[in-house]
Amino acid sequence: MNAGEAGRPLGGFEGRLEAELVRVVTERGAARPGLATVTWQRQPGQVERAAGRLLRSPGLARALVTTPSLLLPWLISSAVVLAAGAAATLGTREPWVGLLAPVVAAAGIAYAYGPGIDPAWELSRSLAVSDRLVLLVRALAVFALDAALGLAASAASGAAVGITFGWLVPMTALCALALAVATVSRSANAGVAAGVAGWALIVLSEQAATGRFAAAVSDSALLLPYLAVTVICVGVALYATRIPREVS
Amino acid sequence: MNVEVAGVTRRFGRTQAVAGVDLEAGPGVLGLLGPNGAGKTSLLRMLATVIPPSSGTLRLLGRDPRGYARRKEIRRRLGYLPQNLGYYPGFTVAEFVEYFALLKEMPPAWIPGAVTAAIERTGLADQARAKLRTLSGGMLRRAGIAQAIVNDPDLLLLDEPTAGLDPEQRVAFRALLRDLGERATVVVSTHLVEDVGAACGQVALMDAGRIVFHGTPAELTARADGTDAAGDAPLERGYSAVLAAARAGAGARS
Repeated sequence: MNAGEAGRPLGGFEGRLEAELVRVVTERGAARPGLATVTWQRQPGQVERAAGRLLRSPGLARALVTTPSLLLPWLISSAVVLAAGAAATLGTREPWVGLLAPVVAAAGIAYAYGPGIDPAWELSRSLAVSDRLVLLVRALAVFALDAALGLAASAASGAAVGITFGWLVPMTALCALALAVATVSRSANAGVAAGVAGWALIVLSEQAATGRFAAAVSDSALLLPYLAVTVICVGVALYATRIPREVS
Repeated sequence: MNVEVAGVTRRFGRTQAVAGVDLEAGPGVLGLLGPNGAGKTSLLRMLATVIPPSSGTLRLLGRDPRGYARRKEIRRRLGYLPQNLGYYPGFTVAEFVEYFALLKEMPPAWIPGAVTAAIERTGLADQARAKLRTLSGGMLRRAGIAQAIVNDPDLLLLDEPTAGLDPEQRVAFRALLRDLGERATVVVSTHLVEDVGAACGQVALMDAGRIVFHGTPAELTARADGTDAAGDAPLERGYSAVLAAARAGAGARS
């Protein structure tokens, strides 16, 4: 097919110029060695392969381990909040950071992406793997990692136990709840709303049961329920995002 | 028909970007022409399932994109190049294309070959391992085109794909468009009428949120016959004649 065949053929100088350019491009293409023999292939690292198996989605795993401009700032801010939270708790004897941080995290999830944050946001809105799902999986991974770090710190020093329990463990559970609701309801907004509402419900019900406002972040009996919620919600999310057999 | 649009509108606050569009397109290359603010990008974004219509019905690849599962099926078979392509500067060209292949849920075993083919087809083989931050504007545009075609889409939507390309690259790209249009439905939004003349079998001209012409490039050119429409090329004169007639008609109705 020549240059003008699809529409109206170009005439005069324009047509001759087009024909000459077509000739040059064709000759260059013929001279270039075929790339089919030089197939590009990237070998995923161990973490990415493990995440791919866990998430049952190579796309989500890749999005998780690359996390452009998100993972490092998030981890740094987690460390800063952990240190500031420890100082504030020791100073006031009230676990305000533990009580407020989950709500801040929910708002952070809602505002952690968008056209002003993610350079490829417009493109990611047209992809089969939802951009919101990618965000929630990233958030869950960061919180889970923070929780593991906090538990390790608690094992090393009793001073970190209060902060770890009061902040990281409930937040991880709430994030998993938000992820599960978002994947099942197919709405990230519903997931965030569920996380915030769930936290309010826990705080108020613990206050009613114990008479202490901060019981939700200071009652060690809640550790297992939080972990159970995390495991169940992650399971629900994994099931909801599984890859159909005919596609894999 | 891969694209079926009926009475579609899109409003952003008080601005009516798309004001009732009817459009059908099967395999082939459809050029979307129109002045700035005509609604081309908004229409393309709706076809890409990035934004929903305010009203009207849309069927893509025989499916209604309002349902989550159907929308996901559409997106697996969709290629989209937005007007403003965002990119991750630390990715190489190949990593960038692979990243979007994975998020389009291509079967993993197919991805290395598909990435290679997409990079080759866009003439970026020599830059496959170059970081995106080191590329020129034209090369970034081609990387964007590579990610759009990596899944061999049945519906390919390209917003100003030749912006920043040099003449040689544009000729190569037009050849690629014609090749893709043999099987898929390709919708190309552009300001460059020579791209339409060289690569598109059909052309739709938008103005003020409506399609004011839909036909072949030859039919658009013929609209200039007997008029003193401005333009340096026959297609440009047809373009100007149709726009002038549409605006005169709109003025007479108001």
